[in-house]
Amino acid sequence: MKTQGMKSFSARRLGAVATIAFALVATSITTGFAADPSFGKACTTEGVSTGTSSSSLVCTMGDNGKLTWTNVRLGQSTGAPVAALKASPGTIEFHHFRPEDKAVFASIIAKFEAANPGTHVNQVIMSSNDYTNLAYAKISVNPKAAVFVTVRGGQFDQFYKGGLLRDISSDRFVRQNVIQSALTPGIVGGKVYGVPYQSLFNDPLYNTEMFAAHKWSVPTNWTQLLSFCKTVKAAGIIPFAWPAATRGNAGQIMNSFLMNSAPDLATLTSRIQAIDTGKADLTSDWFVAIANKYKQMADSGCFPANVTGYNDTVAPADFANGKAAIYPTGTFGMSTVTNLNPAMKGKMKLMSMITVDEKPLYQGITNNTFILSVNAKATSRDQNIARAFISFLATAPIAQEYAVGTSQHVSIINVNYSANIDLLNTSDIMGKKLLLAPRFLFNNVGTVRNPLEDALIAIGGGADVTKTLADTSKTIKQSFGA
Amino acid sequence: MALPAVAVYSFLYLYPAVQNLLYATERWDGVTKPQQVGLHNFVHLATSDDLFRRIVGNNIRFTLIVVIFQTAFSLLFATFLLKNTKTTIFLRVIYFFPTILSSVSVGLIWTFLYNPNFGFINATLKAMGLNSLALNWLGDTKYSLYAIAVTQIWFHTGQMVIIYVAGLQQIPADLYEAAEVDGATRWQQFKNITWPMALPTTAVVVAYTTIQSFRAFDLVYSMTQGGPQNSSDLIVTSIYNTAFASFKYGYASAQSVVLILVVLLVTWLQRRTLRIDYGVKK
Repeated sequence: MKTQGMKSFSARRLGAVATIAFALVATSITTGFAADPSFGKACTTEGVSTGTSSSSLVCTMGDNGKLTWTNVRLGQSTGAPVAALKASPGTIEFHHFRPEDKAVFASIIAKFEAANPGTHVNQVIMSSNDYTNLAYAKISVNPKAAVFVTVRGGQFDQFYKGGLLRDISSDRFVRQNVIQSALTPGIVGGKVYGVPYQSLFNDPLYNTEMFAAHKWSVPTNWTQLLSFCKTVKAAGIIPFAWPAATRGNAGQIMNSFLMNSAPDLATLTSRIQAIDTGKADLTSDWFVAIANKYKQMADSGCFPANVTGYNDTVAPADFANGKAAIYPTGTFGMSTVTNLNPAMKGKMKLMSMITVDEKPLYQGITNNTFILSVNAKATSRDQNIARAFISFLATAPIAQEYAVGTSQHVSIINVNYSANIDLLNTSDIMGKKLLLAPRFLFNNVGTVRNPLEDALIAIGGGADVTKTLADTSKTIKQSFGA
Repeated sequence: MALPAVAVYSFLYLYPAVQNLLYATERWDGVTKPQQVGLHNFVHLATSDDLFRRIVGNNIRFTLIVVIFQTAFSLLFATFLLKNTKTTIFLRVIYFFPTILSSVSVGLIWTFLYNPNFGFINATLKAMGLNSLALNWLGDTKYSLYAIAVTQIWFHTGQMVIIYVAGLQQIPADLYEAAEVDGATRWQQFKNITWPMALPTTAVVVAYTTIQSFRAFDLVYSMTQGGPQNSSDLIVTSIYNTAFASFKYGYASAQSVVLILVVLLVTWLQRRTLRIDYGVKK
């Protein structure tokens, strides 16, 4: 099949009228409007939005530090959304790593199968850890795995290098149903090899009810954050329920430390890549400064007692049950919290974790992941079923069902989150200046990222910064030689 | 007649083993073309991989603890559960029960028991006034390996009790009767009859426990994933991480060759120590 790159279809659309679609995401907060909201006018409460239509406004802070009403423009694509492709009869497997999404996907698959008689999609689900490690080995020898997901970074690269990703650049649903800015992690050399389905926000969740009851303000700089920890701890509450014993989620907080650690994105990227390729080690001033901030947080009582034994079963439970003020993972943790305590519904918001005192470069983290791809080694019939299935997932009503059912924001345009209060309440982060999660710029997961994160966890648990970083640097260096 | 057995063995066991040896001489990320590196992987393991040497040390300590305590406990319990009464049969079932649980479930249960802030173990210690003994069992590099070893012993002792009971029941009763007539104490009976006669069973238990200890992947993975800072990493978890997190399949194959050599060496040393050869006392 003939394929086209992003550049070529960008050129093709020259002269055509580009249609802008908006996925409108906003809070339903009814209070906080300073006056009659109108574009460009001052507002008082950051994040407050006027509704869920394309003409909605959101109160955002500009570079000058002033709050003004601005348009919510989240869902730009290159044309009006298209309907899902038709699939021919046949059976394929859909491999992913979210057991918690099984029921929602089952419902969506039933609809897909009803719309395409004779077509069957079977879910094959692994835990995320197993999926990270084993998915390539399994899928590379299984052509029936016609549609699968990868995570941004190392895993996506691995599948790409293995020739398992089919170029889907020319599919109209890719251009017209997906927020184009969210496509970046699925693009290599200008061609689209996957649709990142989820728009995650890897920022700490905080308990709004608890904050209001104690009259706490969300800290907006590093000094305030450390002081906040002391205040919260003095009230007998865990400030940050940081699940340090579970590396996967413990590492999310690193995004916030990284995002404002360099003067610009290019510098940050080059510093990360230098460590990731062994050209620099963890004893560089830049990384030592980051590690020292973990230590400062530990010294300020930000983390629970025995934090290195505090895992991701206990942390969300403490947050859900009001024992912790902040659960520093991201929007993907909301469903776990509300499953543990349904009363937490509507009581969570995302905070910008600012680790500097000067004006921050970024105010939050986003990540476009759960990248849906078509197996290039599947038969052409199965590939077509896979394309049809992805296109089905990329229609707004289905994406909305997925989003609302799983409490995940999605990268599909025209999705309305008003049916899920937590998605709605956390959507205002989209009005802030966000950075694509830098943690996943460490592609060398086993050799670099895991030991690096282990070192930061140990430091957060009280280990000596200098010794821990020196020891870990040595381990990483030796590992590069293997 | 032996040809089919040889063929099946060669295909299922010999071929993968030889294949693994070949992989061990390659640098391969599982995606791109493998690159022949000769003995580089082994040389690097021996000379430049401090972490792997530490992990081998972890595994040997883990194995020693588990083999000694699991064997001792299972022999002790078996001596009390020898007679086939309703009570002893019930107790054997109780002791055997953990063995039928999945290792991941066992890992999760013990992770909760070990929780430093609300786990049963620390809560009990604190209730007894032993606050200084209420430790961060799985989160501290000093204790994590031992904490998992305790779980491993709890998990598999019941299985070994059953093997010991079967072995001890084969000892002729008239030996004990004759010893009693001669006025031997319980300890003398154990020392001069039970222990020597149980040596073949002990050899089986020790060998099996050793191999189990080197294969304790699931428990480690579900409880600590080898952490904190590799303090509870065993050779098998290291192999897994090297292959599937670092994508160094050749290097992981070299590590698995080392694993085989270490298991062979430890098993041989045990046989020498117990002076056992195929279950027959020399």
